[in-house]
Amino acid sequence: MLVPYSWLKEFVDFDLTSSELGHRLTMAGFELEAEELTATETVLDIGVTPNRPDCLSIRGMAREASAILKLPFKDLSVSVKGEAGQGPSITIEENTLCPRYAARTITGVRNGSSPKWLTDKLEACGVRPVSLIVDITNYVLMEMGQPLHAFDLDRLSGGRIVVKQAGDTKEFFALDGTKTVLEPDMLLIWDDEKPVALAGVMGGANSEVSDNTVNILLESAYFFPASIRKTSRLTGLASESSFRFARGTDIGALDLALDRAATLIVELAGGEVSTITDIYPLPVQTREIEVTFEKINSIIGVNIEQSFVENTLISLGLDTRRKIDTSRSLEDTLIIIPPSFRNDIQTDIDIVEEVARLYGYDNIPSTLPSVHMSPAPEHELYKQIKTMKNSMVMSGFYEAVNFSFMNPNMLDQLLLRKEDHRRSFISIKNPLRQEDSAMRTTLVPTLLQNLSLNLNRGEKMLRFFEVARTYTDTGDKLPVERTELTAILHKDKSAALWEARNVGYYDLKGVLENLLRVINLHGVEFVPSCDKTEPYLHPGKTAIIRVNDENIGTIGVLHPGVAVAFDLKGDITVAEIWDLNKLLEYTAAIPEYRTIPRFPYIERDIALVVSDSVTAADVKREVLTSGSDIIESVSLFDIYKGKPLPADKKSLAFAVRYRSTSDTLKDSDVEEVHGSIISRLQKNLGAELRS
Amino acid sequence: MLSEIEALRETAGDEINKAGSLKDVQDLKVKYLGKKGLLTVKLRSMGAIPPEERRAFGSLINEAKSYLESAITSQENRFRSDELNQSLRIEKIDVTVPGRYIPAGQLHPSTKVLDELITIFTGLGFTVAEGPEVELDFYNFEALNMPKEHPARDMQDTFYVSDDVVLRTHTSSVQVRTMEKTPPPLRVIAPGKVYRCDADVSHIPMFHQLEGFMVDKNIRMSDLKGVLELFIHRVFGSNTSIRLRPSFFPFTEPSAEIDMSCVICGGKGCNVCSQTGWIEILGAGMINPRIYEMAGYAPDKYTGFAFGLGIERVAMLKYGIDDIRLFPENDRRFLAQF
Ligand SMILES: [Zn+2]
Repeated sequence: MLVPYSWLKEFVDFDLTSSELGHRLTMAGFELEAEELTATETVLDIGVTPNRPDCLSIRGMAREASAILKLPFKDLSVSVKGEAGQGPSITIEENTLCPRYAARTITGVRNGSSPKWLTDKLEACGVRPVSLIVDITNYVLMEMGQPLHAFDLDRLSGGRIVVKQAGDTKEFFALDGTKTVLEPDMLLIWDDEKPVALAGVMGGANSEVSDNTVNILLESAYFFPASIRKTSRLTGLASESSFRFARGTDIGALDLALDRAATLIVELAGGEVSTITDIYPLPVQTREIEVTFEKINSIIGVNIEQSFVENTLISLGLDTRRKIDTSRSLEDTLIIIPPSFRNDIQTDIDIVEEVARLYGYDNIPSTLPSVHMSPAPEHELYKQIKTMKNSMVMSGFYEAVNFSFMNPNMLDQLLLRKEDHRRSFISIKNPLRQEDSAMRTTLVPTLLQNLSLNLNRGEKMLRFFEVARTYTDTGDKLPVERTELTAILHKDKSAALWEARNVGYYDLKGVLENLLRVINLHGVEFVPSCDKTEPYLHPGKTAIIRVNDENIGTIGVLHPGVAVAFDLKGDITVAEIWDLNKLLEYTAAIPEYRTIPRFPYIERDIALVVSDSVTAADVKREVLTSGSDIIESVSLFDIYKGKPLPADKKSLAFAVRYRSTSDTLKDSDVEEVHGSIISRLQKNLGAELRS
Repeated sequence: MLSEIEALRETAGDEINKAGSLKDVQDLKVKYLGKKGLLTVKLRSMGAIPPEERRAFGSLINEAKSYLESAITSQENRFRSDELNQSLRIEKIDVTVPGRYIPAGQLHPSTKVLDELITIFTGLGFTVAEGPEVELDFYNFEALNMPKEHPARDMQDTFYVSDDVVLRTHTSSVQVRTMEKTPPPLRVIAPGKVYRCDADVSHIPMFHQLEGFMVDKNIRMSDLKGVLELFIHRVFGSNTSIRLRPSFFPFTEPSAEIDMSCVICGGKGCNVCSQTGWIEILGAGMINPRIYEMAGYAPDKYTGFAFGLGIERVAMLKYGIDDIRLFPENDRRFLAQF
């Protein structure tokens, strides 16, 4: 809020520079956001938090400043003189939305332009002068925080006011001429036949004050804040008035503001003022709050003088007295009645805050809590994610953190089928851009975009991963949030020779194998994906990652068509682990110990020629399931395709390790098993021994 | 006969000591100690020696043999070591050729800072809790004392999924969720992503927050100040000072904004701190008793504090990053720096 330095000084006679004043206000909860120099003076821009609408005026801010600075507050004195004629007729049909409505009529005014002192003050507060009558209502709004509205009395049918909801009325034309669509529960101000104002938000074009206006009806009312906020939000209409009504005005002082404005109008524009009509059927009950000094001190953590507490509360305008308790000699409880402008003070904790605020947070010491030790269980998922991220980083990957948004079009670019679960996404009703209108159901497209951005900037040999949630709409109120890991590896011709030797698939697969080893996940299989290939991956170069017969992720070369759609070139491999939470079920927290073998092993190589369709895993499985308990492991050490082998054949070479748990093996023990393995491979896989 | 051996030992010893190469030494070994070597032949002729002389002869010849063997070994070692030194002078690799390794990547700076903060707070006995990012309006606002149309809702621009579902605007939404499940006392941190419908040079629509809260008997505002001071000192160094300013959050009372002395200028005043010497770093306060009511705690028995801070903001101050829009961009040249 803009507060002209000199205007504030009319209420409190401080001897401080604007910066010093700003600092004192800041340290009491009213942050000085800027200091602006106008042609005539310094204006402080002060942040007023939503709980303190009473400070959305010069008078209110001054009242607060007087308490902060411990200086007297010089309040306005207002009295309407020479009332003539009866006040207007007012009917409130909607008591809960409008508990109080007051008005006076002023007849025989001359509207025109305002004197310079008035326009200067308005402009310093950022308000544009309009005409004398309107300027005076705005002046009182700035001064006292009470929104007022002047109607042209001659344009009010029946010269009377009715407060009721819109009901069947569908539209309303506001002051600025815009057509507003109404909801049935919006509160309107009516005359005998038509709506003349959108209550608390904006007056109507049909009753507005003009230069020719001679008779006015001046409104000062209290409207229920939530109703005003909702109307303003739904209609998109906002004003200085609606802003204050939505935060809560002072229901007890609206007559004072009405009188202040009426007096100024008579003084500056002439005319005769009527008596007041003030409809206030159920006056707000004051509330008593009890608080002990002990409570104040125990929450703040410091011993504050009782006299300081009492004086502070009184200086803030809170009616404060000691509770007389005849059963006890100590008078350690205060009874406080907050004034009508402090609706934010409801319970004892609010009193504690007032004391702490004016005592000064700077004067509160720093202590550390003394608590009982309590077990602090580790967050397993967080711990595992940390391990996984570190493993990825050590394998050369950079961690990307993307927005959780996606462009729904990207699902088409990924070639996802109609029934794909990733098409069940959550939409944002008010996205910043259409591209960011859906919540991600997959991390793949944003990582592809990261790749593209970096390639366009000349980066090479890129490796990125992201660990983030995806959000799938399952029809419940909230989507299913799943934490996933996606990694992407890019290779191009710029690779150093030893890097280029392998295709990216094997690089990324190695990274994943290492990652899963690091988190103690054993028994992982990479199975050719066949008809389960993700549509955005190459069907012949993709594996499903499987543990205990459960699919936990996938790895494969990016589908060439998808690469084109994302404007990408080169050797791109994508890997996904779909549900890190589920992974926790498989990763044994405590590794299982096995005895270190006591006897030496014997290793034998097998070189085979097999059909191209036979996988390394097929051979491995045949060997391991051949039934002998001395086969310890089998590992691939060479693959060869090309001459002199036929085009549909390849050569695979394995080392088979034999070991017994009870004996040192003899060559003859191994020969027999090795021979049976070879005949098994010949029989079951059509393998030929390579000479 | 004995003198013959003496002479042979002398000659052989001389020749061995004067040998010019390893090969010469090996030849001499054959000449004297080989199967037909001169000394070996003498040994074989033992049978021809009269029995009474045999003992002295045997002893002399064995002594000569071990003398020559040791001379040969020492010469061999000398020549082998010369040879090795010679080859060490010749053999070279280019030690300046780049080493072979997979260069490590980097964690995102948001993750780095978040991990650092989590380590600090778990060290103080706080546990990590999580909640959904697509959240019910109830947990994000209503349970935090912000009913529908509450003016405090203006403080945060909210992404809506429906009337009752929002993208959480703060990780404070985890507070009531956690309290509903866990009886006091508790010490919890809730790290995670939060969303605001706001994008310009200094705002991004998704960023990270760390919410912390502690509920126990006799927790005071001075404890909040102490814990935050400890944490700021750990992250920014113990020369950093903090100040608390009164502020407003519907779910804390009293509420405070916490400023720290500007890490860029040390408090003298610069552009980063708008010449004030202070930088707003987090919001905090004593948990409003209404939150305990919402969570079903006995409001008079327990007190506690809560705080929330923006991770990217901490990262920017810690590393001196001048543009928040770099965080979601994921340019490798940015990521590689932390
Ligand atoms: Zn600075």
